[in-house]
Amino acid sequence: MLADDVVDCHVLVIGSGGAGVRAAIEASQHGETVLVSKTIVGKGGCTTMAEGGYNAVMREADSCGIHIEDTLKGGAYLNDPELVRILAHEAPLRMGDLVKWGAVFDVTDTDEIAQRPFGGQRFPRTCYAGDRTGHEMMTTLVERLDGTKVSLMQEYTVIDLLMDGEAVCGAMALDEKGRFVLLMADSTILATGGGTKVYDISTNSSSGTGDGYAIGYRAGAELIDMEMIQFHPTGAVFPYDARGRLVTEAVRGEGGVLRNSMGERFMQNYDPERLELSTRDVVARAIATEILNGRGTKNGGVYLDVTHLPREQIESRLPVMLEQFLKFGVDIRIHPMEVAPTAHHIMGGLRISTECQTTLPGLFACGEVAGGVHGANRLGGNALADTQVFGRRAGLAAGMTGKREKAVDLMQIEQQQDRLDAFLSGSETPAKVRVQLQQAMWKGAGIFRTAAELRDTLRMVTNLSKANIRAASPQNLAECCILQNMCLTASLICRSALIREESRGAHVRKDVQQKHDAQTSPFGHTFLSQSREGIERREADA
Amino acid sequence: MKELTVRVSRFDPAKDESAHLESYTVNINEGARVLNVLHVIHDSLDPSLSFRYSCASGQCGSCAVRVNGEPVLACMEEARDGITIEPINLPVKKDLVVDLLPTLEAIAFLQPIKDAKLPDKSTIDAIKPLKDCIECLACVSVCPAVAVTKFLGPTAMRQEMRLALDPRDSGDRITDAVRNGLFTCTTCQACWKVCPKEIEIPAKAIEKLRAHANRKGLTLPRHLEVAALIRETGRSVPRTGVTFFEQIGEVLEPYGPVKATVGFFIGCMYNMRQVQSALDAMEVLKRNGIRVIIPKEQVCCGSPLIRTGQLASVDSLKQRNIETFSSRKIDTVLTMCAGCGTTLKNDYKTPFKVIDINELLTQYGIEPPARLPIKATYHDPCHLMRGQSIRDQPRELIRQVVDLVEMPSICCGSGGGVRSGNPDEAAALGSRRGEEIKKTGAEIVITSCPFCEFHIAGHTDKPVKNIATVLLEGYKEKDRMKGTPQKQ
Repeated sequence: MLADDVVDCHVLVIGSGGAGVRAAIEASQHGETVLVSKTIVGKGGCTTMAEGGYNAVMREADSCGIHIEDTLKGGAYLNDPELVRILAHEAPLRMGDLVKWGAVFDVTDTDEIAQRPFGGQRFPRTCYAGDRTGHEMMTTLVERLDGTKVSLMQEYTVIDLLMDGEAVCGAMALDEKGRFVLLMADSTILATGGGTKVYDISTNSSSGTGDGYAIGYRAGAELIDMEMIQFHPTGAVFPYDARGRLVTEAVRGEGGVLRNSMGERFMQNYDPERLELSTRDVVARAIATEILNGRGTKNGGVYLDVTHLPREQIESRLPVMLEQFLKFGVDIRIHPMEVAPTAHHIMGGLRISTECQTTLPGLFACGEVAGGVHGANRLGGNALADTQVFGRRAGLAAGMTGKREKAVDLMQIEQQQDRLDAFLSGSETPAKVRVQLQQAMWKGAGIFRTAAELRDTLRMVTNLSKANIRAASPQNLAECCILQNMCLTASLICRSALIREESRGAHVRKDVQQKHDAQTSPFGHTFLSQSREGIERREADA
Repeated sequence: MKELTVRVSRFDPAKDESAHLESYTVNINEGARVLNVLHVIHDSLDPSLSFRYSCASGQCGSCAVRVNGEPVLACMEEARDGITIEPINLPVKKDLVVDLLPTLEAIAFLQPIKDAKLPDKSTIDAIKPLKDCIECLACVSVCPAVAVTKFLGPTAMRQEMRLALDPRDSGDRITDAVRNGLFTCTTCQACWKVCPKEIEIPAKAIEKLRAHANRKGLTLPRHLEVAALIRETGRSVPRTGVTFFEQIGEVLEPYGPVKATVGFFIGCMYNMRQVQSALDAMEVLKRNGIRVIIPKEQVCCGSPLIRTGQLASVDSLKQRNIETFSSRKIDTVLTMCAGCGTTLKNDYKTPFKVIDINELLTQYGIEPPARLPIKATYHDPCHLMRGQSIRDQPRELIRQVVDLVEMPSICCGSGGGVRSGNPDEAAALGSRRGEEIKKTGAEIVITSCPFCEFHIAGHTDKPVKNIATVLLEGYKEKDRMKGTPQKQ
């Protein structure tokens, strides 16, 4: 027997966040679609945790052209311009889908979708549902999904792609008990989300372990810009175990101000024009600098204050923030929050075409696991839009792909089973390896980087990836596979960060002196695959 | 870092016949949550421990567990020494992991009409509070109706209401809700008291859906009969004998100095069914310095109508009751019926203060009764404990007169129109109460609600008594021991 179970379908979608569910909805119109998810659909991933909003041009006074310019400027001109153009033009259409399917976004007194200002944008373009925008989107998407014929495989962990020669023809997965399952498909969509759980301090859910980057890389796909990690400026600092928990940008969008321990509104020194609503890379570096220079709070953060806002505004626009901080003993209507940067989003990812086709036949990618849309820094509110725009595109393209004969190479299944067997006789506790990895990455591949530290970190990560980790029982096998994915994702981040010898957007190389700015940079994407690695040079400068 | 010891429910269907508690001592950080404790156990003590989580910030609803019996989100609940962590009350797959899927899959989804458009602001504002649900299913896990009948559960009703409000939906949500058990809810309030998002499902969904059902002609026949009776007589129960009002004057003066004066809202059940309990309560009040004014033109509070969605005459009842007390310049109105109390406090806007008899007696303090050599258990009326947050006061009174043995606080099945509309369900819940009572080994059951008194009496062989009655027995014993004649 090949496996405990074999599933065959037209489109296989891996991941159940905003992008995966949107892709499955679309693909299901073109053939039998299976959505496989390591969590319960609607509960996993980071979309449901997304708070602030969804960027879409909804008003006469705004324009797609300005949205494109803002996104390119915010992304330090590293974005793929064609993907940005699509994002800006299709975000309103996909918002229309959500509205049609029942989404309950906040509306204005004149019954239009309400929009709030977010960092780096010249127009208040961010649509929202209080500060639970992603949750609202997910409930809407899952309801729509329920109305399709998509088959759901919930709490199955995909561990690798299934190859037919150079082409992807499905995936291998483990169920919650550790049983081996083969999923065969004409087209496969990776919608596995991000991976900043490789850092000690992160906003991500339990699924943000970089599985898609690792799975794609092992299958031979090319990834771009993996050094581009967004550190969200405002994560919680207390209590210790809740460190990194997202404090939404909407807090600043609604008028929250940042102050250091001296009471100074320090953003005046870093971006006097945009202040708190500068781009995330700028604000994160400002906060990190204040803390490094001894102007932080005793818990190691800075103050984020909304106490000057009307209580009613805090209660209606930031209810989740209010509730979360109250649970941890802080009433944000009366006392300032304490915040510090936290690893949030990976801008890099699998290289995709405008139809979300990766460099491997049969494999599509959408959402955070794909690269190119956000360049070197993502604007707040563009990720939720990204999930919908490119989720639909991936589902459509994968669905339109023809049926094909699939020949599964038995070797890869044997190799996979050998890998799993090795975990069962391993010796090291996965949790220990994971903690070492996360701390090494935070220390050596964080906001400020040098080649020397990156090389050290890469060495450590490589060693950790070879650890003889142990699965205590078959149900612990998925955990071991995920840890290896984290190690591989971390190594891709370090390698790309070494390749990019410039400071750009979220990537800061303290050891590199440069004369150019983002617009005049001679560099394009970094790229990595099993067969090549390097950095593109812009034609004008080549 | 601090050290604490917790007990965790362990169950592996491959090996175990039933769940057992395992004790673990762990070191955790200051402010750590229950989820962090589970991580430490899994990562350093026992990798076979299974639990579900995802966002770790109260937004995904994956990690609901019971801590010391109460459902909470593991990621938001602070860990304390000595706690017991168990799965929520749904089918357990392994350890703390329960099977959420059958319940989640049964929740209705929006079926868009053609050319659906953004609703207007007032519609959005009406729907929004119902959309905070993270489907953790804590509500379903505590719902007494789910346990004994075909009821899809509180959050499924929340969703039916959310869909009913949405012009973009094409379904007939009211008919669906009725088919899925709308009238099986006892309005016990257990669901929203455990809801991490505090969504008031009984008032904001169940009763609203029942009002829609009423307009569609789907109200249960027995509920229609009650409404007709109220229209005709002002009372929700038919006359079967001498009423409380017929046995008592308009003003009751206490035996001693007056500590307080209150107006008394009797309620239909105490006026016409559990009359002796009310008479006993008056005697207890007289002994404790409470002057009681009893205006007799008061009528049914409207609770049986509000709970069953028959709102047509509710406003006139409210108006009459409020006028009755405010015209006498009464600033405090006493209730002893838990149902009337919760209605006056939560469904009325009264110009006077409403106080339950347990609150009143503990606030002013009572003359100590004699101790009776009786072991008693106490049944928390839902509309007292959850409707009015009155949990400790009855216990404080009871402990002065008898020994109290606790039992779990679960609905007896009589509320929300279920006793009249769904008698089989009410009987099933009543029997469960009977079993719990038996387990305590108590000789009597004490409660403080006429519906509970009446209903539980049918499901236990132990006497069911009102708190006031037991206090009065304590006073009579005291008088007997002193050899003084009983006051009449």
